[in-house]
Amino acid sequence: MGSLELVPARTLFVSRPRIRLELQPGDRVTAVIGDLVHVGDVVAERIRDARLVEAAGPRDGADQGIPLPGTWLPGEHAHAARRAGAPAGELLFEHAGRRRLASGPHPDRLYAPADGRVLDLEPGVALVLEIDGPGLAATELLGEPHWGRLVLLPEESDPRLALDVALAGAVVVLPGRVDAEALARARAMGIHGAVVASLAERDRRDLAASAARQQAGLHRLAPFGVLVIDGYVRRAFAAAVRSALGAVSGAVVGLVGDPPLLLLPANRELSLPEPDHILVRGGPEAGREGRWLGPGGIRRVRGGITAETGLVALDDGRTVALPIGELERFAVIAANG
Amino acid sequence: MSHVEPGAAEPPVGALPASPQAVSAPSSRVIAVPAHERLPAFFTLDHGTATLAGALAGRVNRRWRLLAAAALPAGSSPDALLGLLVDRVRSADPARATLIGADPGSGPEPLAAWTRLAASSVPAATLAVIAATERTRARLEEAAAGAGWNVVAGSAERTNPLVLTRLATRPGVAALLVGIADPPDADERDLAAELAVAVAGIASRRPGMRIFLAGPFPEVPLLDAFRAPVIVRLPAPAGAPGDLAASTLRAALAVARSGPDDSRRALAASAGSLARVLGLRVEILEIGISGAARVLAVPVPADDGGIAATVQIVEAPDAALFRMDRPGSIDRVDHWFTQGLDRARLRDRLAELAIAPWRDLDADGALLRAAALRGAVERLLAATDPALGDRGVDLVIGAGGAWSAVPAPAAAHIVADVVRRPGAVQVAIDHARLLGPIGTITDDAERDALLADLGEDLLLRLGTIVMPRGLRPNRPAGRLVLDAAGTRSEVELVAGGLTLVDLPPGASGTAELAFRGTPELGPRGRRFQVAVSGGLAGLLLDLRDIPLRLPERPDRRRELLGTWERALWPERDT
Repeated sequence: MGSLELVPARTLFVSRPRIRLELQPGDRVTAVIGDLVHVGDVVAERIRDARLVEAAGPRDGADQGIPLPGTWLPGEHAHAARRAGAPAGELLFEHAGRRRLASGPHPDRLYAPADGRVLDLEPGVALVLEIDGPGLAATELLGEPHWGRLVLLPEESDPRLALDVALAGAVVVLPGRVDAEALARARAMGIHGAVVASLAERDRRDLAASAARQQAGLHRLAPFGVLVIDGYVRRAFAAAVRSALGAVSGAVVGLVGDPPLLLLPANRELSLPEPDHILVRGGPEAGREGRWLGPGGIRRVRGGITAETGLVALDDGRTVALPIGELERFAVIAANG
Repeated sequence: MSHVEPGAAEPPVGALPASPQAVSAPSSRVIAVPAHERLPAFFTLDHGTATLAGALAGRVNRRWRLLAAAALPAGSSPDALLGLLVDRVRSADPARATLIGADPGSGPEPLAAWTRLAASSVPAATLAVIAATERTRARLEEAAAGAGWNVVAGSAERTNPLVLTRLATRPGVAALLVGIADPPDADERDLAAELAVAVAGIASRRPGMRIFLAGPFPEVPLLDAFRAPVIVRLPAPAGAPGDLAASTLRAALAVARSGPDDSRRALAASAGSLARVLGLRVEILEIGISGAARVLAVPVPADDGGIAATVQIVEAPDAALFRMDRPGSIDRVDHWFTQGLDRARLRDRLAELAIAPWRDLDADGALLRAAALRGAVERLLAATDPALGDRGVDLVIGAGGAWSAVPAPAAAHIVADVVRRPGAVQVAIDHARLLGPIGTITDDAERDALLADLGEDLLLRLGTIVMPRGLRPNRPAGRLVLDAAGTRSEVELVAGGLTLVDLPPGASGTAELAFRGTPELGPRGRRFQVAVSGGLAGLLLDLRDIPLRLPERPDRRRELLGTWERALWPERDT
């Protein structure tokens, strides 16, 4: 058993991930289990403001059987003085001769975020796809799944200046400081999504509030997703992540939230970090990377805290003992599903 | 604890021994020999959501002793951790390593040969609770939360079927609890039939969904559901609202949520053993990243003349360490945090710690953890007081990784700050995370014997907190005479402050308190005699208000809290 396994592993890539596209009761799925889908295919229509509709069941004597909950039922015209009509909608359940439907106007389209296959359908809950290419692991997707050509903005660029309409339809990687204003501008320019290393809680809330305001105004919002690779406190992308993003620059990628992944094309060569490559996640050396040398014993760190440590040869040439809790390594490939 | 009026005999308090025993002192109860006595050593593993803790116990002079323990972030390899422990024993005490067969090449490889006692804490899953009426919803919700579930809830009385369907099918919902009272109320009867069909509709959408039916809820529509849900029958919500501790539904939901090696339920078993072995009223405050629990174990006379124990456990997912989604949670952490940090930055730091709990272990990261721990214990007590009450106990144990992320004396200070009850209480922490794994031993006698055998190694003793109520602040309050380890010392008491008296681990003695007024220390009186035991913090004379009142102005509050914190945590600024 190598001492390297004392260091917790963080998944870098997920091979052939199974992803779930969230649905709501009332959404109409157009894909069928077993279908091969391509990036950008419409797989479902989402009802923005579904409402409950009560309609009469089939007439007595009509041998139509009882459809399963989750079935999409076409609309019925009213028959004067005999029978009220019903809008098209998804059946919630049928009870005492009455049907409860989820129905509504203003359908939005839900696109396949990558090439893959429809594995399962849970009506009103989720559409499950198996994706052909690998996924780069992230921590959270804010907004909607989407896809686009990956564009890397320069390391120290100000996103408010670097973003322009020429990037419409792209997924942009924002390596520098990012705020809600820059992301709202990106959405307004028709950019499909953004990949960021971290995003503060306040910016997350502002972004969600901005989307909610536009939704409340009945604006049809184009889907837009922000994939957060790490967390909340500002930090740079790890070298392994930068390398992966660089390798797929210019290719079409997808953004999904369940699990949070950047879906990469299957035909690109991805370089993998060495197994003993270590990333420092916290403390005074946060953000630095290096190589694992072995256990460093129990040591007292600042503040009188004692912790198990590991010896790390940092890339700047120093050898330091750091708490193992502040270290992580990358798992090369993890299978999902 | 006993209360002494001048010239009077000491009256016992309650049904317990007049002087609480020190933690290490085993009772005279006859204890069975452990079944695995012939083993030279064994491992324990506690797989927490944030932390993987391991320990190695070996036989030394016919007793189980803790030989090594370590904690690493979850995701580390258990085998690597246990290998580290074996290597540590080999290098620190080669003779002992030889005796227990841990020498390289001396026999079977320890990692493969030695028993592992393992417990794991299951992250609180989300349970959708649906009831016909608001009244039943509230009772079901209370039982589910007390069993450790995160709960989203609605009722047919208030919510339409579309919203209920959305609620039960939202991402993260692992199971559905539907129920009615037994017998059903009149309004429930009318709604139950339609609700059953609606639930069958929900079950048709989610393959293999677990559906708990509480009470006489009609299950016929569910049997026809397309996706074949897993139906589990549970008792109806019974008892008066708030009668959570006695709820059989809560107990059944707790079993349904966790596996057989669930560390929180195992803690309850260990608490019962400690109560029996030590003859003390034991309270465990377990704070984790994904949940929290409070266990209360009280020794009672058994039918056979020995000591039995009553054990109650209530879980409170809202009291998870960095859970900040409830109103006021951030404010309370800010209230306790001794460093100035703007609210947005504080929120980000806490959210970051929820993702990576081991990040920023040192410096202000440790202070932030301490503040978050105070907030979590506050939430835990608020959530569980209605069920378990707020009566004093003899021994408070901090369990879970959060307590080990601050120096031991600082942990005692956290207990003193938040658990504000008049009386004297010993404080300890489960430093090697042994209580969970040992609690998985199903045989009471075997578990009791092992805990008694481990004795002083089991818990890290922090000391004793003496906390009177009813003193007039900032005035001389009286005098303490401490008789311990053959020495006698006197301390003048000033109300409103926190006084530390050196009382090292292993030392025990008697503290005589003579007050000018008649404060409450259990009973109310002027003179008290209290048995105290030492620890890394010593004896804490907490003469502050109950409840603790702090200045409203943040800068003054931080200064005052910092003064107290510095006294028990002198390395915090280094």
